[in-house]
Amino acid sequence: MREQRRKDAVWRFLTYAFVVTMVVVMMVPLYWMLVAATLPQEQFLQFPPRLIPGTAFLDNFAALQERLDFVRTIRNSVLIAVVYTLLSLVLCSMAGFAFAKYEFKYKEPIFYTILATLVLPIQLLVIPLFLLMAQLDWTNTFRAIILPWAANPIGIFLMRQNMKSIPDALLESARMDGATEFQIFYRIALPTMRSSLAALAIILFLFQWDLFLYPLVILESADMYTIPIGLAQLTGFQRIYYDQIMVAATLAIVPMVVLFLVLQKQFVSGILAGSLKE
Amino acid sequence: MTGINITQLDKVYDSGTENVVAVEDLSVEIDHGEFLVLVGPSGCGKSTTLRCLAGLEDVTDGSIRFGDTDVTDRRASERDVAMVFQNYALYPHMTVRGNIGFGLKLSTKLTGDEIEEKVESVAEMLGISELLDEKPKALSGGQQQRVALGRAIVREPSVFLMDEPLSNLDAKLRSDMRTELQELQADLDVTTVYVTHDQTEAMAMGDRIAVMDGGVLQQVGSPEEVYRSPVNQFVADFIGSPSINLFTADVEGDTLRGPGGFAYELDDPEPVGERSRVRVGIRPEDITVVDAGRNAADVTVVEPMGNENFLYMEMGDHELTARVRPAVRPAEETEVSFDFDEAALYLFDAETGDALKTKTDAVDTAVVGTAEN
Amino acid sequence: MATSDETDDRVGETYRRRAGARVRNATRQVKRAARPVWDRVRFARQDVTAATPTLPRVAYLFIAPFFILFGLFLAFPVFYTVYLSFFEYQGVGEGSLFWVDLGPLYVEIPQIAQLSFIGLGNYARLLGNDLFWQSMFNTSYILAIQVPLMIGLALALALALNASFMRLKGVFRTAIALPVSANLVAYSTVFLLLFNEQLGFLNYVLAGVGVGPVPWLTDAFWARNTIIAAVTWRWTGYNMIILLAGLQTIPQQLYEAAEIDGASRWEKFRYVTLPQLKPVLLFVVVLSTIGTFKLFAEPYVITGGGPTNSTITIVQYIYRQAFVNFNLGYASALTVVFVAIVSVFSIVQIKIGGED
Repeated sequence: MREQRRKDAVWRFLTYAFVVTMVVVMMVPLYWMLVAATLPQEQFLQFPPRLIPGTAFLDNFAALQERLDFVRTIRNSVLIAVVYTLLSLVLCSMAGFAFAKYEFKYKEPIFYTILATLVLPIQLLVIPLFLLMAQLDWTNTFRAIILPWAANPIGIFLMRQNMKSIPDALLESARMDGATEFQIFYRIALPTMRSSLAALAIILFLFQWDLFLYPLVILESADMYTIPIGLAQLTGFQRIYYDQIMVAATLAIVPMVVLFLVLQKQFVSGILAGSLKE
Repeated sequence: MTGINITQLDKVYDSGTENVVAVEDLSVEIDHGEFLVLVGPSGCGKSTTLRCLAGLEDVTDGSIRFGDTDVTDRRASERDVAMVFQNYALYPHMTVRGNIGFGLKLSTKLTGDEIEEKVESVAEMLGISELLDEKPKALSGGQQQRVALGRAIVREPSVFLMDEPLSNLDAKLRSDMRTELQELQADLDVTTVYVTHDQTEAMAMGDRIAVMDGGVLQQVGSPEEVYRSPVNQFVADFIGSPSINLFTADVEGDTLRGPGGFAYELDDPEPVGERSRVRVGIRPEDITVVDAGRNAADVTVVEPMGNENFLYMEMGDHELTARVRPAVRPAEETEVSFDFDEAALYLFDAETGDALKTKTDAVDTAVVGTAEN
Repeated sequence: MATSDETDDRVGETYRRRAGARVRNATRQVKRAARPVWDRVRFARQDVTAATPTLPRVAYLFIAPFFILFGLFLAFPVFYTVYLSFFEYQGVGEGSLFWVDLGPLYVEIPQIAQLSFIGLGNYARLLGNDLFWQSMFNTSYILAIQVPLMIGLALALALALNASFMRLKGVFRTAIALPVSANLVAYSTVFLLLFNEQLGFLNYVLAGVGVGPVPWLTDAFWARNTIIAAVTWRWTGYNMIILLAGLQTIPQQLYEAAEIDGASRWEKFRYVTLPQLKPVLLFVVVLSTIGTFKLFAEPYVITGGGPTNSTITIVQYIYRQAFVNFNLGYASALTVVFVAIVSVFSIVQIKIGGED
């Protein structure tokens, strides 16, 4: 009995040690980033490296701002991601509603055609989209970034799945109350879908927020850069200013970390929803 | 004055590969203010009929008239009907106030104040004034039921449609709501069509009952009519609880010979005509256990109900049920002899199931619709 | 203790409810004042609704906006990539593919690109290209180490956080899942610095234990490991969340039954957890494999594909061919091959996992 208890205690200790180690591993890069962002370049270049935050964050930020208008870069990223998310939510929920609650000709073939594209990596589309946007004269515009994935297959799939759970009686009741089909959609179906919409919104937002290859090809001038493009440009300069890059990285990561902490439940359900695409 | 006139209604679902007939050639006339109950086993077409009346389904053929107006091709919202759904279908994101007022808001030109006034007076009538600012999730089943009713009443429709509205309530609440619903309907004097699969509920509530089976209307009549004078074996079997005892008997002269040595000589053989076989029906309450009856059966189970006993017996390989006075309590696994009145006997055609003879005994209203088990 | 807590709760509840009622009353009054205006808006909307004819094909209206964008920006490009892979790209298209002139109505479909047909030339070229094979090798190498490593860690973490004795589960889970919210390029720049040979934190720590500076970014072998470490950091928490959700669906009775049967910790894992978790595990493996196959941002930022192309991935190679060298036809052929490989990978994995 005692032998068993000692074994259990050792096992528990090892488990905790493992988890705590992993937590430390996860935290180190983020902490390192924060420290680097607050040290003047000269201090940063010392060896051994300093591990305590300094006070030069604002100076570093000012220097960064002088080289690349990063505030504008962030604004671009937020603008694109928000408009994209809203547009995609509207399109996906409308179409998802139709696929869940109406009968119409060729419903199944159309839906499975859309679903099939779910497995295609987005890189597949970069070349033709680049040519298409060049032809439309849309290169270096936000609409070229926002529109292509607004019709998001994951979004329509999730919306259809969730909308199916709305009882038909609820919609019929509204129909008898004199609601038009569109009113049924936005006054009855949408409000009952709030949590699914939130989860989908997070999936869509993160998708757009992390998009790199495609904007790299489409966006040309510095005033149009999104965060990933701006950061990539910073690392590509002749002389690399680590302090400034870390300020930029901090500005890119910290707001999302805060958002994650605040909306953790929605993030997790977003991850799970996005992952459960059969 | 709004009665309902359904003429030769057909509803066929086209599933692409085959056609499914849900309702076939249904005609019925419902008077103004009448409470008509559509009853039948699941899949009999009763709900489809109701949905056709509501305008939620297009009819394939036939016509529906409310009063003098043909509403066959009208949209649900233009028919001046209100419907109470089985699961209440309350809008989960709206308060009770919002739920009740939603229809008025969408399809009437009442001002906001007038709507508010109406909602409040209906809530008062149903005793749910306290709950007006709650969301449906916070309400009990009975309260949700009232809100669903309120939503129908507030629109002052000319026709109420109810699709199994009480089936989600527990037994006690259900019988309370039954009474309340009837009183409400009588007060409002609105023509009502009520769908249920529960024959007891149908008997208890309906002014008239329409029994359906396989998409076909079998019989329309008062509860007593369908109980005492069913047009066929299906109606006889469906109405009444416990159900009627039915078995096949061979006709030998004037004598009916059934399973387990059952024999009965008819005083009046006329209904049988030239048939060599008939189906015999005896209601459980018409069987009396006597010391020297003409027939006998083995008692398998006795269920004491307090005010009466149910005897489950076997006659040959055929099961027989009897409702008897509480004092009659034979031991299980014994043989008892029983009798019945010929006036209480039902006879049906063995092939078609059509009624040949139904109850002709004196009316004993106590047995109508009180059975509940 | 419990009772007093409850009382406090109830008092708080009453207070909240009262405050809530007051707010509701106030808003109702405001609403009431604004009502005539709203009524007029409502009536106007009702009139519009009544005037609009009922549309028999309303479902098509609901899917039309989605489907137009889908067709233009998803379906069409997929086919166009395949089409393009049989051509040599010679420049941006000029003039029209075809046009229709109907007096006032003039429709023109522009030619998207100047192309010359070369049949399977691009595919032949790809098979004989050393850099293509190099990128295939790099990707496979990273894949072969990174996916098992990450899934192993994620599974171990999920099991640990699912253990009944574990305290602070929520805190640990949050901390480990935090990298999920890190922007891909941003975290890559952090790793660029973390693994810096002279200044990096990692070499500092290693120096502390007497290990000489590791050429994390300048040596072919170490550069690949750096990429592996970075990707593992970013996605372990993501996979852990999915696996943890999978673990939580395993009925507790199964463990209790195994306990009664005298199963050891390992046997419980082997005979209860693993079979029950298999579909989720398989799914995570497929997802991670595809994800790693599509690797681009990390090598682009951290190593730039170097040193001497030792970390260049397939997608990075496609990018270079398409947008640095403008061999768009050739890059399309590469893309087609890439998608084919990804698809085969996931099908094979599902097939293997599907057999018991």
